[in-house]
Amino acid sequence: MSTATESRAGTRADRDLHFEVEQFYYEEADLLDAGRYADWLDLLADDLDYWMPTRTNRLRRQQALSVAARGEAAYYDESKESLAWRIRRFDSGMAWAEDPPSRTRHLVTNVMVRHADPAEHPGFTADDLHVRSAFLVYRNRLEREENVFAGSRTDLLRRTGAGLRVARRTILLDQNILLAKNISTFF
Amino acid sequence: MRNERWNLTGPLLLCWRMTSTIEPPRGALRRPAELARNLDVSGLVDTEGGLVDRAIFTDQRLYRQELRRVFAPSWLFLAHADQFHRPGDFFTTYMGEDPVIVTLDRNRRVRAFLNSCRHRGARVCRADNGTTRNFTCTYHGWSYDLEGKLVSVPNKAGYPGSFDTGEWGLIEVPHVETYRGLIFGTWNPDPVPLRESLGDMAWYMDAMLDHDDEGTVVVGGVHKWVLEGNWKLAAEQFATDWYHVNMSHASALMVLSPTGKGPKDEIVHRTGRQYASPGGHGAGFPVHPKNRFDARTVHQWTDYDALRERLGDARVEGPLTNGHATVFPNFSYLPVNGSIRVWHPKGPDRMEVWAWTIVDKSMPPDVREAQRLYNLRTFGPSGIFEQDDGENWSEVQAVAHGFITNGVPLNYQMGLGSEREDGRHPGATSELYSDAAGRAFYARWRELMNTPAWHEENP
Repeated sequence: MSTATESRAGTRADRDLHFEVEQFYYEEADLLDAGRYADWLDLLADDLDYWMPTRTNRLRRQQALSVAARGEAAYYDESKESLAWRIRRFDSGMAWAEDPPSRTRHLVTNVMVRHADPAEHPGFTADDLHVRSAFLVYRNRLEREENVFAGSRTDLLRRTGAGLRVARRTILLDQNILLAKNISTFF
Repeated sequence: MRNERWNLTGPLLLCWRMTSTIEPPRGALRRPAELARNLDVSGLVDTEGGLVDRAIFTDQRLYRQELRRVFAPSWLFLAHADQFHRPGDFFTTYMGEDPVIVTLDRNRRVRAFLNSCRHRGARVCRADNGTTRNFTCTYHGWSYDLEGKLVSVPNKAGYPGSFDTGEWGLIEVPHVETYRGLIFGTWNPDPVPLRESLGDMAWYMDAMLDHDDEGTVVVGGVHKWVLEGNWKLAAEQFATDWYHVNMSHASALMVLSPTGKGPKDEIVHRTGRQYASPGGHGAGFPVHPKNRFDARTVHQWTDYDALRERLGDARVEGPLTNGHATVFPNFSYLPVNGSIRVWHPKGPDRMEVWAWTIVDKSMPPDVREAQRLYNLRTFGPSGIFEQDDGENWSEVQAVAHGFITNGVPLNYQMGLGSEREDGRHPGATSELYSDAAGRAFYARWRELMNTPAWHEENP
């Protein structure tokens, strides 16, 4: 059994798994676009690490430093608990940045699924999935405010009895100066 | 030059005053005065009556005049000293709309240069920060060293004999001075020294910057985002506006409250003071013997008794923790989470926010991390407070161009006439809920807008 697991580690997942992951992402996107944040939280693992670092313009020879390191400036650096805390604010009825609510559309594409490699990701098994995807989030607000957020996500999805759960998510936004007055949605 | 040994260690030289400003050759160039015609703004701000004309937030001519007469002569925040450790460390930013490079030269002097090639004007540094030995324009290859000297010109033989590279170095910011780790620069060739221009404001700033002898350091990286609003809306709010907190930030106060059901009465009904400086600076803060830092780990680490010893009871019970402040014109900070920020003007209708998190150098890693996360989650661009501030400013700006709307004055009358010496806080102070510092901000703005700057040939 363990040899079978090891042989899958790091390899590309099959078509059924790709289909399952894509459907999982579409469900996530649907919940976010519907503003059902509490339901979205249910798709996140309790030990979630949700990180969206800032990105700087660096000289080509210093490109390795262009993504902020852990502990540096980030748009999100969250646990499930802190995301829940952020989401509670929407229930107050006085979160004006989202009242009236924005219209958003989360598009997820370029989904590439691999079996997680426990050697690279301690605590995970080859049943868990290492997934890279691209997103395009359109936000339209009030009369004519528009924002487009494009970027990539690198996830570790944990296989649980209740289905897949997001355990790690790193979000890279393809912007230097955030071209929006705020970030009031999730990715 | 490359063989010289660079002084890689030792203290930063934080006060830089050029001995002589290099005047760029102008030949027969003469600017027509019409290009920079100034308007008398006396009738746009009524500080005695507490009224402001909304044209100051929307008019393009007034905006250009602000760049000439408010930004060019004022001390402007550039960077934190902790961003520079070795010669060649650089950070690019803006003074008004002028791009500048802040760098540490071979003698460990913090210096600032206009980030624009003297040949065709492109930026000579297009990275946000990093380390380098020179700044090379990628258009034609003119190259400048860390002292701003022009050291390389391709096809130099093609220029006339009168061409002197000594006249074509990067334009340097003539004065760079530092106050407790905060680096400011000004284009004014003969400025009032930084410390003097801060005046009593320094007492309030020290409540954030001078907790112990070690001072502050920055968390890596700068949050930058755009806001569709005039820069003064933000600068003014941080100077004078505790009033908006209960309404604008109702949702944030709710989730921060222990029950999660709503802010406690003592938060809503806080009393405090607001400092209004004749220099246009302002700071407001609740006053309470038990004022505390919000982030629990930071609160638990803080030695309030030692701070009382160092800074006095008035500061520990006032501006040490909660509060807001602006150093005129466009530098603001929040002590509770170590947020310092610049509101870069980008036309009358837009600004860019550049925000750093600073922490006490003496904080152990877990305390620094707690403060970083608290700031990110409250006043980062995704923060539960910051989101709603951005919403307010873009809302105010979006409707301000309507002809009738633009002509309807705005009200700055709260606490009119309440400014006084309170015997506990330096300078003139008003109530926590007051527009006093806003009126002072606009009084200073009006004064500068009506005063010819050094660069105007015919005052």
